[in-house]
Amino acid sequence: MIELILNGLCVKAEEGWTVLETAKFYGLEIPTLCHHEGLTEFGGCRLCLVEIGERPRSKLVTSCTYPAEAGLVVRTDSDRVWSARRMMIELMLSTAPGSKVLQDLASRFGVTKVRFAPRNDECVLCGLCTRICAEQMDARAIGFQQRGHKRTISTPFDLRSEVCRLCGACMYICPACQLRCQGPNAETALCNACLTMEPTCLEHYDDLQCWMYDAGRCGTCVRDKKS
Amino acid sequence: MKQYRAHLLVCAGTGCVSSGSFKVKEALEQEIARRRLQDEVQVIATGCNGFCERGPIVMVQPDGIFYQLLKTEDIPRLVEEHLLKGRPVKKLMYVPPAEDKPVPKMKDIEFFKHQRLIVLRNRGRIDPEKIDEYIAFDGYEALAKALTEMTPEAILEEIAASGLRGRGGAGFPTGKKWAACAVQKRSPKYIICNGDEGDPGAFMDRSVLEADPHAVLEGMIIGAKAIGAAKGFIYIRHEYPLAIKRIDIAIRQAREYGLLGTDILGTGFDFDLEIVQGAGAFVSGEETALIASIEGQIAMPRQRPPFPASKGLWGSPTVNNNVETWATVPNIIRRGAKWFAGLGTDTSKGTKIFSLVGKIANTGLVEVPMGISLREIVDGIGGGVPGGRAIKGVQIGGPSGGCIPAKLLDLPVDYESLTAAGAMMGSGGMIVMDDKTCMVDLAKYFLNFLRDESCGKCVSCREGTQRMYEIVSRITDGQGTLEDIALLEELAAAVKDASLCGLGQTAANPVLSTLRYFRPEYEKHVVERRCPAMVCKEIVSAPCQYACPIDQEASSYIGLVAQKKHAEAFRVIRKDNPLPSVCGRVCSRPCESVCRAGEIGEPIAIRALKRYVLDWAREKGLDAPERLPVTRPEKVAIVGAGPSGLAAGYELIKKGFAVRILESLPVAGGMLRVTIPDHRLPKERLQDDLDYLVSCGLSIKTNMTLGKDFSLDDLFRQGYKAVYLATGAHKPLEMGVPGEEAEGVLQALEYLKDHHLGIPVSLGARVAVIGGGNSAVDAARVAFRDKRVKEATILYRRTRREMPAYPEEIEAGLEEGIRIEYLTAPVRIRTRDGRVVGVECIRMKLGEKDSSGRARPVPIPGSEFQVPADTLILAISERAYTPYLRESDGLTLSPEWGTIIVDPASMATTRPGVFAGGDVVSGPSSVVEAMAAGKAAARSIEAYLEGRPFVRVNEVTRPACYVEPVKLTEEEAQNTKRARMPHLPRGKRRSGHDEIELGFTGELALKEARRCLRCELETRDAKNALGRET
Repeated sequence: MIELILNGLCVKAEEGWTVLETAKFYGLEIPTLCHHEGLTEFGGCRLCLVEIGERPRSKLVTSCTYPAEAGLVVRTDSDRVWSARRMMIELMLSTAPGSKVLQDLASRFGVTKVRFAPRNDECVLCGLCTRICAEQMDARAIGFQQRGHKRTISTPFDLRSEVCRLCGACMYICPACQLRCQGPNAETALCNACLTMEPTCLEHYDDLQCWMYDAGRCGTCVRDKKS
Repeated sequence: MKQYRAHLLVCAGTGCVSSGSFKVKEALEQEIARRRLQDEVQVIATGCNGFCERGPIVMVQPDGIFYQLLKTEDIPRLVEEHLLKGRPVKKLMYVPPAEDKPVPKMKDIEFFKHQRLIVLRNRGRIDPEKIDEYIAFDGYEALAKALTEMTPEAILEEIAASGLRGRGGAGFPTGKKWAACAVQKRSPKYIICNGDEGDPGAFMDRSVLEADPHAVLEGMIIGAKAIGAAKGFIYIRHEYPLAIKRIDIAIRQAREYGLLGTDILGTGFDFDLEIVQGAGAFVSGEETALIASIEGQIAMPRQRPPFPASKGLWGSPTVNNNVETWATVPNIIRRGAKWFAGLGTDTSKGTKIFSLVGKIANTGLVEVPMGISLREIVDGIGGGVPGGRAIKGVQIGGPSGGCIPAKLLDLPVDYESLTAAGAMMGSGGMIVMDDKTCMVDLAKYFLNFLRDESCGKCVSCREGTQRMYEIVSRITDGQGTLEDIALLEELAAAVKDASLCGLGQTAANPVLSTLRYFRPEYEKHVVERRCPAMVCKEIVSAPCQYACPIDQEASSYIGLVAQKKHAEAFRVIRKDNPLPSVCGRVCSRPCESVCRAGEIGEPIAIRALKRYVLDWAREKGLDAPERLPVTRPEKVAIVGAGPSGLAAGYELIKKGFAVRILESLPVAGGMLRVTIPDHRLPKERLQDDLDYLVSCGLSIKTNMTLGKDFSLDDLFRQGYKAVYLATGAHKPLEMGVPGEEAEGVLQALEYLKDHHLGIPVSLGARVAVIGGGNSAVDAARVAFRDKRVKEATILYRRTRREMPAYPEEIEAGLEEGIRIEYLTAPVRIRTRDGRVVGVECIRMKLGEKDSSGRARPVPIPGSEFQVPADTLILAISERAYTPYLRESDGLTLSPEWGTIIVDPASMATTRPGVFAGGDVVSGPSSVVEAMAAGKAAARSIEAYLEGRPFVRVNEVTRPACYVEPVKLTEEEAQNTKRARMPHLPRGKRRSGHDEIELGFTGELALKEARRCLRCELETRDAKNALGRET
């Protein structure tokens, strides 16, 4: 067993666990998007960021890929983590505003404005589809193309794939193109229609996660952490 | 071995090869064979010499003579003179800028003098394709030592003790990295050399690989021994074919010599190397992406830990170091860790190679000890910014590095200092920028690079760079807002924080560091819609119009002249200019100084073209005024009928106000009338413009002096609702030299005024003028036209280059026979019986630059000399003069300058309804600035009279309409020379005050106008308007 400090508490983790797995084991919720238990870790959506190390030399890493190390100091809900997470949600939402998954994330994390022009790409390049295709369906019909801002997901040479069995796993797992936000103006903007009830709470601690986080979550920290 | 009496070392680095060094080498060999010297002289192709700016380069050894910028036609002479006759050819040697004596030897050239060569020790001296030459310069000695005398532990200790840190950018201690890999029990282990150098403007690794490939090999074999690896990879981007070729040759030769392969040097140690070619992705330079690329996967970084030292290539322990790091290793082993640790600073040891590029005199590759200041590199080795421009900053560390502003140039170059300043060592790209670099545009350039080169895995980096690029593009397009800057800052911080690899974490640096040091420049773009460096074309449009204080659409009317549509050209000029005949002759031409044609040749003669159009229009009777109706009840009074007052008056009557200008002199025109001589601005031409304005309805009353004939209160009593004060700045400054009060000492402006008003002035035969501005030259030339004057001399304390007078005026004055004594300052005015008889002067020399950027003149003690003179004219400078104001007028003056203090946007003084502008506010300035102030005041007065607050609207520069460009012949497109205007013959000048410049002929005007680059057509608006694709 490995001992590490998680939100100020000394916890034990199994050898080979990631920080995300450790946090989940202790009931802490860390939002994820490109992570899926049946697939290899990717670390692309940057939602599961946590702050590691002693301040001021601490840094942000993705908890889904970071191994639990002995003596590691982890903060899952610091202000720094939250502001980075919010920006990631804002960036993703601006590329795929129709996604209910992203709209819900925005509501949950108090993203109240999207300041980038919406693009309606309906894809955030999380790579879940390419991984499920390769790892679970053993097809490798689709993959990433290009790099940087030109990156897309497609079949080789954009031709109809001979190995694709039309199984639909890629659609099933997609967080952006399948489940649509039903809000009034979801195609172009932030919806914020659901999950916006926000009772007030009393205090906020940088090191602690609210005990209600995993349950209905009260949203207090959201209000508190709104800059 | 064959002995030669001379060796010609021809640089064959990529830089010199592209400037033709292989051709030079071929020519050398042919010429040497022709002269039958092939047994005495050997020609050798070497690796990059570093001074790429000057290629092709040939070094002659053993003399150490450095020849540069060679062409094949220089070769016969070089061989004959130097190799046959033993006389080095001065004409082909390096001449430092601003000097005229060539520097024959390489070691004496500034560029090389301050460098410390360790990694590049063999550059330009050995043939990189011959292992024997490398061995002859102690090559593979370190390897032999490491394999035969040292244990792996001893090597690790030595590297750790040396303090060597990774040269790829992050600066991780090399010894620590190796030790972490050495302790791993698993095998196989791998060694990787990272030669995926992708930064724009960086070519350190390429040069090392090209100049000394065996040094890299030797370092890698030593490293392999230290960690126990049997296999290594050299990853080189395929854009470096020459480097790949030379490494390939080096590997073959090393194998042949038993330095690679099995049982190296008979020690039982096995190691071999393989070249992997990168496919040109910048991100491949990231360690984990590079490993993925060697494995045959997409070059996408992954999370560390696990670090490659424990889990790298194919899951095996791997050490990956940069080319420069590997090439440093043999030097440490051969000469000892102690020697190496003695170089550099506490935390950064040894030397670092930088590629010095951008706006710098000596472009090239330099190796310097760590801790050297940036200034020593830029000014000492680099020779500073060419063309006498000011250095603005240095961009260090590649696209994701940062900008160091000029004020921090004394910063020591080491890992910590650069990071603290917001830049980073990076792989060592150093881009020097001058004041013509726009920092926002620079950030955009790097963001464009990064959004392409981001691998696309992380949202933060992929979307972040794209969105930052969009925001910065908006700003450079003149569409940005202050919120954009705030969002940019927030986004940049998130990208830096949330990204996985080095690329993403530093991708925000171009934004963060420019925002940190150049924030006002960003704000100028969004608030004022101005780009001070005149780079952002969507803001600037045509620089001539952008720079013109009265917004004259120069490129449009030039475009019309080029199509012979003179009448339309005239209307474009008239639209914005109330005094076009005047401006066409005496404008200070801010437009021409920023003309883009001037960057590659001579700027367009914009003023002369304007004058041509005006002369043409007058001849055709086109300049017919139209009386403007008075449509508003409020009356406005303007004090002073100079350019500022006239411009304000014209703008106001166009708006329908009744305007009266009150002038204290008996004539209108102000300085234009009484100080600018007729040979520059004939009275009739000024009168043309005045007549036009009067016919439009402007009322001018002369001989009315404020404070004597009327007061400010009187004006308001008489029903004027607003007053514009434009009384100018004409009080001469005192020189502070004894004897100024003597008889025969005149003030230039007073003298010119009396001359033009016909008041007799007594002049002696010898006239001396002190000063260097236009009024000094004007006074000298006017005086010299006087029959009583036999000689006229201008005394100026700096050199001709610094003289503020227009160059063509100085030239014309000299032609007419005026003498100018440069570097001469008056000490004392000599008098006899109260009359001036001469000036005692002292010689000056130019010293340090002062705050205005001009060299400060320093007197040379003991160099005093006498200049006899019967009349001495002082033309030092003037200041604003407002003796007419009383306390009760309620205006505020600047205690320092005596100028009237106004709100800079609205030109309103501290008294409601009273506005002021022109020289009385700004101090002595130009005609066109005074006119601009008048136009601005008119807009503000209108707002005041309408009872609304004045808001200055800042818009990007655009012409009112777009003129089709003309088709040019090839010859015309190549023409960078300005058309020469005909001048009055010299013989006809002294006899009168006729205008000297005769104006363009139709043919010359057409030729000159067709030269215009039509910068305003580059904007999207222009392309839309003319129906071209954007």
